[in-house]
Amino acid sequence: MLTKLVNMDRRIVFILVALAVIIPMLFPISLPVSISEPTQNLYEFIDELPADSAIMLVFDYGPSSLAELNPMAKAILKQCFDKDVKVVGLTLYAVGTTMGSDLMKEIAEEKGAVNGEDYVFLGYRPGIELVILGMGTNIADIYETDFYGTPTTELPMMENITNYDQIELVVDLSSGNLTEAWITFANVQFNQQIAAGVTGVIISQMYPYLQTGQLIGLISGIAGAAEYEHLIQSHAKGTLWINVESFVHLLIIILVIIGNIAFFVQRKQEE
Amino acid sequence: MKRQIPLILCFLFGVVMLLTQFSPHSLSQGIYEEVLNWARIITPFALVFSTITLLQTHITRIRRQTEHWQYSFLVFGGIAIMVVVGIPFGPQNPVFEWLFNNVQLPMDATMFSLLAFFIASAAYRAFRARNLEASLLLITAVIVMLGNVPVGDLIWNKLISLTPWADTYANGSSLMKQWILDNPNLSARRGIILGVSLGVISQSIRIILGIERSYLGGGD
Repeated sequence: MLTKLVNMDRRIVFILVALAVIIPMLFPISLPVSISEPTQNLYEFIDELPADSAIMLVFDYGPSSLAELNPMAKAILKQCFDKDVKVVGLTLYAVGTTMGSDLMKEIAEEKGAVNGEDYVFLGYRPGIELVILGMGTNIADIYETDFYGTPTTELPMMENITNYDQIELVVDLSSGNLTEAWITFANVQFNQQIAAGVTGVIISQMYPYLQTGQLIGLISGIAGAAEYEHLIQSHAKGTLWINVESFVHLLIIILVIIGNIAFFVQRKQEE
Repeated sequence: MKRQIPLILCFLFGVVMLLTQFSPHSLSQGIYEEVLNWARIITPFALVFSTITLLQTHITRIRRQTEHWQYSFLVFGGIAIMVVVGIPFGPQNPVFEWLFNNVQLPMDATMFSLLAFFIASAAYRAFRARNLEASLLLITAVIVMLGNVPVGDLIWNKLISLTPWADTYANGSSLMKQWILDNPNLSARRGIILGVSLGVISQSIRIILGIERSYLGGGD
């Protein structure tokens, strides 16, 4: 019995995880959310921006990370459109192009924002650090047209935006190490304010940059997305999924405890 | 000559680009801008090379009939369809968007989602308190896992409400997680960043001076 428990068939674990995901999705519950300081800092920074100022929202992720990063992107866009803050969207990750474009369109329609006036989506250009450095001089040199083929210089919103000097904040939503490229090339070279939204697995990498102030804020995984939704008072998928994740985490902790009890009892018996 | 010219170019560009960072003179900044423009033109060719390499790899797999070689035809099919639709009509084309949203997106998301199942199974097998180090890892993991979800604070607050310190130590689960991220994690990460940065600097100097030549390919 103990040996069976210690070497539990992994298919049983898979079934338990599936149930821990499916049941809370079918019967959603509402759990209280505590706001972490890095998320609060980003929210307050955008909240204090004057109307008609601009931020850059970078979709540096692909479909594999959309569950965590799309809710963050939506929450930030909602906050910006509500406050009349202009958004320049782009991606340094080829796969992020269609996702970024669709997502900006979706939230713009919901909030009545107009393409070219309240937001633009510039799309993708290859050469990560070269694109970041180049935009420090002139964004229109790197992106001659937006994603839809309109010359960048003809977009009404871009009339007063030449380079980072007119961008109050770059928010990099990233599933890899591109945030570090933004810090190295945009923050260090051009003194551009940077914030990030990252997947759960790379949160720990971002903390040294938070402490130095090179990141002014950080949204950490789906928990951070739920916090941001709570702050803008628009509960959506981030809130639903963090509640689902709560049950999966609990299940894993219970499994680890059971595994350890069985392991110790078995070891004692062997002695 | 075949190796000397790239080494000379690397040395010249390395030194010049390094010097431009220390001079705000218009000539220096002009050179910097010009080299960046060149680099931006050259970069897309890397995509062409990566596609050629991918095709070569799969042609070799088919020729040698290695394990699962039949799937290489799917790679060619996928590339051909996306190129035929994407290049002439652009990424806003409805067929391209449909293929992305209904084929690539769900497949990519599914692959990543499977990780949750494997991580749960691996955690069950690997997180055993066999010794002090493993026990520390186990305790830290449990604290961070609980602190990262709302249910952690919910359980903590329920338990602490049974004691006289309910107000003082509210939300202890997320606070403990935050302390771990802000202190031990940050210290370790900073050490790693400093180590990696020093390594990058020394490697860059070796490349600029022509001591490190492996990027040229082949034996030295």
